[in-house]
Amino acid sequence: MKRILLIQFILVLFVVVSCKKDYPMDDDGLLITQRAECYVSSFELLGADFQTVRTKAATIDTTAQTINVEVFYGTDLKNLYPQFTLVVDAVLDPKIVGKVDFSDLSKPKEWTVVSGNRKVRKTYKVFLTVKQ
Amino acid sequence: MKQINFKILMSLMLLAVCFGACKDKEYAIPTASDKLQNDLIKRSLGPNIVGGTIEFAYAAAILPEKGKISSMTVEASIAGATGTYLDNRFFNTNSSGADVGTAVGDPSVTNGKTTTVTYTGNFSASTLRYYYKIPEEARGKSISFTFTAKSSNGETISYQSGPHEIRNMDMALDLVAKDGTDFYLSIADMKLYDANFAAANPDKIDLVYLYRAPTNVTYLHSLVAPTADPIYLPTFTMPTGLKNRTKIVKAFTVRDQQLSRIQYGVFVDDVDLRSKDFTDAPDFAINMKVESGVWVQTADGKYNAYIYVNSVTNTASVKEMKLSIKRLAIR
Repeated sequence: MKRILLIQFILVLFVVVSCKKDYPMDDDGLLITQRAECYVSSFELLGADFQTVRTKAATIDTTAQTINVEVFYGTDLKNLYPQFTLVVDAVLDPKIVGKVDFSDLSKPKEWTVVSGNRKVRKTYKVFLTVKQ
Repeated sequence: MKQINFKILMSLMLLAVCFGACKDKEYAIPTASDKLQNDLIKRSLGPNIVGGTIEFAYAAAILPEKGKISSMTVEASIAGATGTYLDNRFFNTNSSGADVGTAVGDPSVTNGKTTTVTYTGNFSASTLRYYYKIPEEARGKSISFTFTAKSSNGETISYQSGPHEIRNMDMALDLVAKDGTDFYLSIADMKLYDANFAAANPDKIDLVYLYRAPTNVTYLHSLVAPTADPIYLPTFTMPTGLKNRTKIVKAFTVRDQQLSRIQYGVFVDDVDLRSKDFTDAPDFAINMKVESGVWVQTADGKYNAYIYVNSVTNTASVKEMKLSIKRLAIR
């Protein structure tokens, strides 16, 4: 009887140990990986009606870390929704949680891309121009 | 030994349950009730708006050997507006898919809250359509209906429907804004006016419709507030006195079914108009397209509205936009 109890205890111990995960997570519960790549691959800008306000594809310079985007004449610059597409496992800082005011064209908005291993950080500036 | 007996007993019981469960019951055509019966469906969808119509289909039937339908009556808790009626025809669909009506009696008679069709034909079953025109006194209240059928053998049956909430908003359909003529829009009046009216009543004008096709940029059909930056008023001078800074938020997928009368099951309701956020909203909406719209708040904060673009025309001689509006007084 004692032997059976001992075997059962060892089995339970195995189960507990095997369920333990040691993958690192960040504060948002996202996996921290080994990837060091850190760049923006595409950029979208939506208006209050959730339609694009770009006149053409945004120009992304991953070396200069700039994004240049031309928007339609008559775009409401105070209420825009930027959308970034990043390299695998990277995250954006600060997070975009709603509309963004781009109305001060002299002060480009900045976002930082953080790599999958959370060790590389690159800050991108978003420059808007309005088609005239 | 006892354990073995128990196992055998359990196995036999399980087998019996399996056999019992597999036995098919033979289908039998249900026997129709020999009483007068009725049923109801509400055909119209979306918010109930003053001036609009609530539509029902009311059916009643009795076995032919028991009697015939003698009348159908609808009683509304608030008398309907002019245009309320109970159709005196039921409909079949012909081989072309068209509705073909058959009259069961004379057209309905409405007396206060009650609308009645008295049958003159020999009908044991029929479905009649009821159209309730929502009156002004029902605004913001609830309405209920009692549908009643009577048969020749003296039976009576009723069906209750409701309460149906009537909204506070107003609706105006198919206003045509014409560039250069009727292009001043008043949200309070839900009407378009010409320059003379706008000059005489500047406080009433909330939006201006313009069609322009400047080079390099896309302007086309646009709605702008009188206070809009002159760069959004190309080749147009706003008459003096017009100063309402109407807040405008563009929308694209809000194809309200009551405004658009197309296939989308989207409805702008009182709560949408009341809760719309106009913080930092601009006073212009450039390049409006068909099936798009704008959420609007008047400068005095009295009205929130949704304006839907039904169609636009820009031929050589005609520049116009057909609009439909839902509007709610919020204070």
